[in-house]
Amino acid sequence: MEKNPPDRTGPVHVPFGHIVANEKWRGSPLTQGMQGKIKVIFEAGLTPVDFYLSSRSCILYITEADLVAGNSYRKRLVVVRNSGNLKGIVVVEKTQMSEQYFPAMQKFTVLNLGMVLLPVASHMEASSLIVQLVQEQTKEPSKNPFLRKKPALISEPSLLRTVQQIPGIGKIKAPLLLQTFPSIQQLSNASIQELEPVVGQAVAQQIHAFFTQSR
Amino acid sequence: FSGAYGPSSRLSLAGTHAPSRLPQEGQRTCILVDSREIASGSEVISFLRATHGFQVEVCPLNGCDYIVSNRMVVERRSQSEMLNSIHKNKFIDQIQYLQSMFERICVIVEKDREKTGDTSRMLKRTKSYDNLLTSLVAAGIRILFSSCQEETADLLKELSLVEQRKNVGIRVPTVVTNTGYEALKFYLSIPNVSCVTALNLCHRFPSVKKMTNSSPQEISMYAQVTPQKAEEIYRYMHYVFDMQMLPNGPNQSREKSDA
Repeated sequence: MEKNPPDRTGPVHVPFGHIVANEKWRGSPLTQGMQGKIKVIFEAGLTPVDFYLSSRSCILYITEADLVAGNSYRKRLVVVRNSGNLKGIVVVEKTQMSEQYFPAMQKFTVLNLGMVLLPVASHMEASSLIVQLVQEQTKEPSKNPFLRKKPALISEPSLLRTVQQIPGIGKIKAPLLLQTFPSIQQLSNASIQELEPVVGQAVAQQIHAFFTQSR
Repeated sequence: FSGAYGPSSRLSLAGTHAPSRLPQEGQRTCILVDSREIASGSEVISFLRATHGFQVEVCPLNGCDYIVSNRMVVERRSQSEMLNSIHKNKFIDQIQYLQSMFERICVIVEKDREKTGDTSRMLKRTKSYDNLLTSLVAAGIRILFSSCQEETADLLKELSLVEQRKNVGIRVPTVVTNTGYEALKFYLSIPNVSCVTALNLCHRFPSVKKMTNSSPQEISMYAQVTPQKAEEIYRYMHYVFDMQMLPNGPNQSREKSDA
């Protein structure tokens, strides 16, 4: 079976724990800062992408000069955004010089295109952030606190709390009601006659009214 | 619970029997703001109000800073808090709490206000900060950066307009009647149900009984939640209570746990 379909620009193969960088970054302080921490592979002809974190996720690097020069960077973002299954992360140099252009850039990138945007102040900051992005990709998803599945909670204490929100029901009557009508749905369908033996006439009417009255 | 949720005669829903209120064309965009934000983000609120045509409702949201649509919550954080690893675990807990209720989360990282005479103090970017950012990115949580409260207000406005365009804007009144208030408190006690979902349940179901007898599909449609969340609510309504499962015995159930 053929593994690699004939393609135009990608997918680019990125070995585990590596980053594939556009040839133009060879020898730059940006990639020098990464070396020693992750392996950088240079490849020509990657434009518009600057770095590939994996075959499906890439970095577009917008320099201070790009930002100050005008909106020409936008074309690059749109090309990546429209390319089916490639997820683009935009890293932008937000410096004293380019700061004023940042808000408009952020609106375009995050709110219009729905891409990720991360500002950096220098090449130094950029290289450690990119190293962090590579490390994030290589670690197991369960190590990410925001992807961790939380264990299901026991519903009983919540159910008691929910039943206590019904007018007339406090700590004592809530468990009594749930012992006779074991789910909220069953409790909501109970008639006044069925409720009376458990909570008395007045409260039975209150419960029934709570469930049935229109709001 | 008090404030905007409180009993009010301004808006009487009695007599509204239709299961869903039809969204009005051109209705004002609504943002719910947590009452705690009055202290820390008063300018954000003022700017939001000043923005023409915005309905800002300040109410107790139990730790959700801003709710901009039926599915999206916005957490506003100062940059110094994000940079300092001391606050990291608290931040993670907060985001996990929001994840239990909302489909979409956005974090706005706001630059700290510069104190006069304190210009020399430059905040250094930390590894812990980068680590937080990349974890958020990997989990699909949106991040926006703001330089001041005014800009935060502008970003909130843009976010809610985008959500509005996607047809998930908040379309129910935030005021409820006396009986509505009781129902609201009841809906809010359902685990992992946000304030905006509770409001939707309150306004779109003619009675609580109607809601408890609804199918997951109906809950999803009226409460404006994902099918998964609707299923979760449905299962809670049908969950069979077992006294033996109470952790502290029947008589020691906690009154109310505030998250």
